[in-house]
Amino acid sequence: MKKLLLVSLCFLMLSITQVFAQNRTVTGTVTAKDDGLPIPGVTVKVKGTPNGTQTNSAGKYTLNNVPTGATLVFSFVGYASQSVAAKGAVANIVLGVASGELGEVVVTTSLGIKHSEKELGYATASVSPKELTATAATNVANGLTGKVAGLAVYELDNSIDPNIAIVLRGNRSLEGNNNALIVLDGTPMPGALLSSINPNDIADVTILKGAGSAAIYGSEASNGAVLITTKKGSGKPTIVYENSIQAEKVAFYPKLQTQFGIYGGEPSNNAVTGFANYVPWENQQFGPAYNGQLVPLGVPLDSANGTQIMVPYKADAVSPIKQFFNTGITEQNDVSYSQGDAKNSIFLSAQNADRTGIVPNDKNVRDAFSVRGHHTDGIFSADYSVGYSRTTISTYIANNNQLGQYGITVPGSYVTTAGDNDLYSSILQLPAFLNLSAYKDPNSDQGNASNFYDAYAINPYWIVDDARRNEQRDVLLASLKLSLDPTKWLTLSYHLSDNYGIDQERYTKAEVDFTPYSIAAAGNDGGTPLDFATTGKSLGSVYDVYQYGDGTNNNPGYARIQGDALVDFHPTLSKDFKTDLLLGNSIYQEQDKYEITGSNALLVDNFYNVNTIGGQPVAAEGNYLIRNISYYGDLNISYKGYLSLEGTYRNEHDSRLSAAERSFSYPSAKLSFVPTDIIPALKNNDILSYAKFYGSLSKVGNININPYQINNTYSIANGFPYGSLGGLTASTENYSPTLKPEITTETEIGTELSFLKNRIDFNFSYYNSFDKNQTVTINTSTATGYSSELVNIGETQSQGYEFQLTGQILTQAANKFGWTLGGNFSINNSKVIALIPGSSGQLYLGDDEYAVVGKPFPMLEGTDFVRNAQGQVIVNAKTGYPTTSGALTEFGRTTPKYDLGITSSWTYKFVTLGAVFEYRGGDVVYNSIGQTLTFAGSSYYSASNGRQSFIYPNSVIQTGSTYTKNTNVAVQDGNYGFWQESQFTGTTSPWVTSGAFWKLRELNLTFNLDQFIKKTKYMKGLSVALTGRNLFIWTPKENTYTDPEFSDTGAGSSTRGYNDANELPGTRVFGGSVKVTF
Amino acid sequence: MKKYISIITAAALTIGIAGCKKGYLDQEVNPNSPSVTTPQYTLAGALEQAASIQEEDYPEYAVWGGYWCNANDYVPNTQLAEFNVTVSNGFSPDAWTDLYGNLTNFNNLQAISTGVAADGNFQAIAMIMKAYDFEELVDNFNNVPYSQAFNASKYLFPAYDTGQSIYNDLVKQLDAAITLIGASGSATNPGTSDIYYGGNMTNWAKFANTLKLRLAIHQSNLTTNAAQADLASTASIGYIDATSEADAQPGYTDALGKENPFYVTFGSDQNGNPVFGYLYYVANVVAVNIMATYNDPRVDYFYAPLNGVIVTDQLGATHTNPQQASPIGTGLLQSPEQSAPVFSSYESFFLQSEAAARGWISGGTAAAETYYKDGINASFAALGAGSAATYEAQVNVAYPTTGTIDNQVQAIITQKYISLNGLFNLEAYNEFRRTGYPVLPQNPASADVAANSQTLPTRLPYTIDELDNNPTSLAQQGVINIFTSKIFWAK
Repeated sequence: MKKLLLVSLCFLMLSITQVFAQNRTVTGTVTAKDDGLPIPGVTVKVKGTPNGTQTNSAGKYTLNNVPTGATLVFSFVGYASQSVAAKGAVANIVLGVASGELGEVVVTTSLGIKHSEKELGYATASVSPKELTATAATNVANGLTGKVAGLAVYELDNSIDPNIAIVLRGNRSLEGNNNALIVLDGTPMPGALLSSINPNDIADVTILKGAGSAAIYGSEASNGAVLITTKKGSGKPTIVYENSIQAEKVAFYPKLQTQFGIYGGEPSNNAVTGFANYVPWENQQFGPAYNGQLVPLGVPLDSANGTQIMVPYKADAVSPIKQFFNTGITEQNDVSYSQGDAKNSIFLSAQNADRTGIVPNDKNVRDAFSVRGHHTDGIFSADYSVGYSRTTISTYIANNNQLGQYGITVPGSYVTTAGDNDLYSSILQLPAFLNLSAYKDPNSDQGNASNFYDAYAINPYWIVDDARRNEQRDVLLASLKLSLDPTKWLTLSYHLSDNYGIDQERYTKAEVDFTPYSIAAAGNDGGTPLDFATTGKSLGSVYDVYQYGDGTNNNPGYARIQGDALVDFHPTLSKDFKTDLLLGNSIYQEQDKYEITGSNALLVDNFYNVNTIGGQPVAAEGNYLIRNISYYGDLNISYKGYLSLEGTYRNEHDSRLSAAERSFSYPSAKLSFVPTDIIPALKNNDILSYAKFYGSLSKVGNININPYQINNTYSIANGFPYGSLGGLTASTENYSPTLKPEITTETEIGTELSFLKNRIDFNFSYYNSFDKNQTVTINTSTATGYSSELVNIGETQSQGYEFQLTGQILTQAANKFGWTLGGNFSINNSKVIALIPGSSGQLYLGDDEYAVVGKPFPMLEGTDFVRNAQGQVIVNAKTGYPTTSGALTEFGRTTPKYDLGITSSWTYKFVTLGAVFEYRGGDVVYNSIGQTLTFAGSSYYSASNGRQSFIYPNSVIQTGSTYTKNTNVAVQDGNYGFWQESQFTGTTSPWVTSGAFWKLRELNLTFNLDQFIKKTKYMKGLSVALTGRNLFIWTPKENTYTDPEFSDTGAGSSTRGYNDANELPGTRVFGGSVKVTF
Repeated sequence: MKKYISIITAAALTIGIAGCKKGYLDQEVNPNSPSVTTPQYTLAGALEQAASIQEEDYPEYAVWGGYWCNANDYVPNTQLAEFNVTVSNGFSPDAWTDLYGNLTNFNNLQAISTGVAADGNFQAIAMIMKAYDFEELVDNFNNVPYSQAFNASKYLFPAYDTGQSIYNDLVKQLDAAITLIGASGSATNPGTSDIYYGGNMTNWAKFANTLKLRLAIHQSNLTTNAAQADLASTASIGYIDATSEADAQPGYTDALGKENPFYVTFGSDQNGNPVFGYLYYVANVVAVNIMATYNDPRVDYFYAPLNGVIVTDQLGATHTNPQQASPIGTGLLQSPEQSAPVFSSYESFFLQSEAAARGWISGGTAAAETYYKDGINASFAALGAGSAATYEAQVNVAYPTTGTIDNQVQAIITQKYISLNGLFNLEAYNEFRRTGYPVLPQNPASADVAANSQTLPTRLPYTIDELDNNPTSLAQQGVINIFTSKIFWAK
């Protein structure tokens, strides 16, 4: 496919070539080694002469006047050149891909323009479809992780519909968007739609790492861009069928205790032992040690003299927490058809990806269809692409569900007063002796809400059965590009794209009816929450969301329609200079509209319709529109291919800003130099094959405000309207029409080197960017009339180094055994330079994270214990307990400072083994789940002293102003007293751990069976692979809680490193795939 | 070829022209919320907020003042029982944010109605309610931003004014509002948007005058009392009585978010299930014992008897969980439709009683006694507790006509204390802090052994938000000790 993309460039090159008449004619076909398809546009030259031609669309060429004994040179960008002696009248050539020939690689840059790698004055990286789909990830983003220096893909959770964030070169914006722009076939698309794309449709992914490289895309690309090029049809009709099946299993459970049963602070200790008594309806596990005897569990069922469940008081072999989770299965079936020649091509694909999750009843099914084509007629050409996908998701209602952003609370459980009673935290409270299978049916005698043994938590199976979110996303990605080449030096094109999704969601929560017996025992030892003591009912809920936008339920999440008109001048002014001037106009509109209706008071049990409710329905509506008109120019001048200069300039007009501030402009300049092409000593050097040095200076505006955030408005006062009486109240955030865009200024330098005939490639880049005029919401004294204000203040710096090294340690050709090893490493330093003038010097970003002047951001802050100057914890001289300090302590940055990826592939004959490892570190994580587990008494940590009194490690006792080492004051109570009642568990510091991890991101073993099917008439290719993702994770010993990559913060949030029970435990995925080519 | 050129040109032009259309980029008007309001909408919304703040925001005073205990919880909230209410441990009074938010609306109302002759009534109500809210702020926090408030573009970090200077200015504002009401006979009547009085401006003048009386009474301990000096100038307007009580009634109804604010915070939700506040707050032995001294039948209205008796709890006491004590009674939780009192007639009568006893308004001891009984009667009526005649006839309830002024004040404040239970927790605590009455158990004030103090707090701390967002101005207020720092009028 790459071939076809390059055709146009080659025609240009051809126009420079002169054809001279000589003695003899040679004809032939040039095909590609990798897929056996003909390559159009290959340059065929007689060595040492200007005589040459190019292959046509069928890969055929005819070269006249070839002298006898002459050598023919076949070259094509992206392929290794080949020289053959012209012996007869026919010369058929097979070209192999030029891996690692840096200077020859053609890169798709901004606006889909292809540049020779030599000319680029900034860092790029590309990921091939093979690398992308090596382990059959359903989301493109997962296929990128660990493969590019400076690119961090955050898998923020592993729900059935995971949140993924793609960040290049760390955070710049304090509160705004830090995600890379996603560009599909030349036009930006909503990043959230990435999950709707079939990864097998992708031909190439190019990463433009910095603001400079993407400057031409404007304000949206200030965080870099990920350019996705989809497959086009080419060659003979080809059908590819692929099937993969993968299993998903929990790989990282928190470390749990299996020694102690349930008790939660009831004032009844055993008179003899003094230890806590067993309390049969408790959720907290601070009870006596397991002893194997039969104990009652819960209160008698249904009536005071009903059945009393008796269970053996000993830990199950498999903890109920582990029993709860299933093995998820993902099956993907994918079929594509491809055909094309130089004039017409078509590519069709269909995919079904069917996933069941680790949580019972979780499902995610995606059906994707796409058609893409190309047509050339003389000087006119057209490309079109239509992709449609429908994703249906069914899952339980999570505590952090999307309705929260609309101010709507949809209960994920029937306990309305306890916010943390969501699924995973309910599971984490299950004691080790519980036989969970008895509770699988939430309507059974034992499992129903009235009789469930635990008076304070709810049966997790009730949640997965009766609190559901069902979603359907219909996504359309369409584009049309019309181009005209009226002369050799001019290309006109117009590109129209429309990307949108319709999201329909229904949240339902079943009615719960408590039995009179359980109501009578309400709040004491029964299962009925006191909240329902009067009516005995928790009514059902239904909420419907309809949203036209990016296919998700993000508020706002935009649909996008964009038109780009481009004029590209590429005159040949002189033999030595290659010039290219691009002038463009881009107009886009983004739109979001949502409507929500719902009620928490359904009249009829199990009848979910807002028409049948008590009281009034909840209804909400939102409309958002962004319009942007930009003009831009991009001038490229290249001198003899070794010295290139690029300058860009863009002017934007954006509807989010007030008329006075709406227009803003910014330039960029880039320079690259290839000494190996000009310095004689370096030419044809066996050690240094290629060297390039580059540098760039760029400035990009970045609008980090939503529509309508420049004027104050009024909203309906709480409770209004009462009948026909309306009431309005002032907004609490102060907006100003003087808001301006943020300005990112980036300096970048770098080098690309190739050694030993391109067997070793090395890239290095350094960037230093400053982001001024940050748009942030600062909290203000409410005495100002507002509790917050959106302002332009502060400045941040993001600076870093990126290294990428790839080596062909052993080549298959020479050694039969091939080994390629690659490493990429990035260091990111972020720093807050300035913040609010006249204020305390820190800005709260959310989730216990702050921006602090002079410090990296986001900075995790929280409470610590009162300590002496040596950092030892001062404990109470009587109780032995530590005290929480009132002041906030800085724990560290929550985004990784270091990111190392290692890729390796070993090939022997037809077998390839590939692996991707990734390390991230230099950050901290707040594991709120540790607090939940310890509160519940289920954490291993909480039982590490056998629930006996202990001397707080490395503690001191204060006497006046002196501190003496604590050797004798043990904590008053090493059980409930310490873990629940003292200030220990509520303090932040015990739950902050390093965020470092090593992960085996990918492992695949591929058998290319092409050679065995050669005699088959209909089959062209066959490969079988075993695949695995996230197979192993290694974390520092202190992290016994969860995968540190997880975060409760949304993909668009600037904060990270804050995980809680909203994220399920980490999983590993493994399976196999078969790919057949016809 | 020409065909293609024309197609592309046409397409480019279409988009280009659409792009050039005037106003294409003018998307400043928010389609989701209006950028303008009317005096009516702002008034209705803001009056309701003021009522909600009064009824929802002060459970801590109910707990410290001896009305309620926060008992019903397995993991007890020790903040209130231990008086552990420092900014650093997460205790942040709602009143600060809520009152300034409410004041913003009244300030906007004043701004949009000032200078518009037809909106004189709105302007007057805005000024009166600003005074009402600012008094509440001072009574909670003493010195607060006043002169530099509501001017974000100029004062992002507003300085604080002293409580007394604010009180003094409020008197002037109230006088000006009263004048405005008198002068705006032909102005638009607020009508139904006035959810307190339905547009009865005479009642608003009485509201303003009674508020001025409250400002004067609060400063009874001070030698200079500008409010008191000014009482005579508007005495002819009279004070709130049984027919002019300020009760918010926008049309509360038994639907999600539309219930009476007290009912939905301390009673039950629209499905009839008790809410957290109902389960959490139970009868405090202090108020119950005081009422027992007077055989006060209202005790059964303030608290719900369990099996015929009022079961009490004690602040900070340890007990078997969950504490089975009497929850809030049916006199306070009448229905989700009940109106929300903002300035009660019983408070007005007790204010007048004290003012008469002190000789600040006419009538002397006889008038003081009359107002005293009127206050008790109004309280009985509000609770639906029947006739107060028998109760008032008791020797220890009867007004001490021959007693010293201190005896009289003690009687008035004790009765006022009983009547303010639940709905006016802040004002009850104000009067306790001003007069020391009724005598609440002071040693220890909480049975919790870990209590920070043996005495009750004298004020709330400033909020954590103010510490974070206005630190310099806040620092000028010095160190606030919640057990020793006092509101300027406190004893």
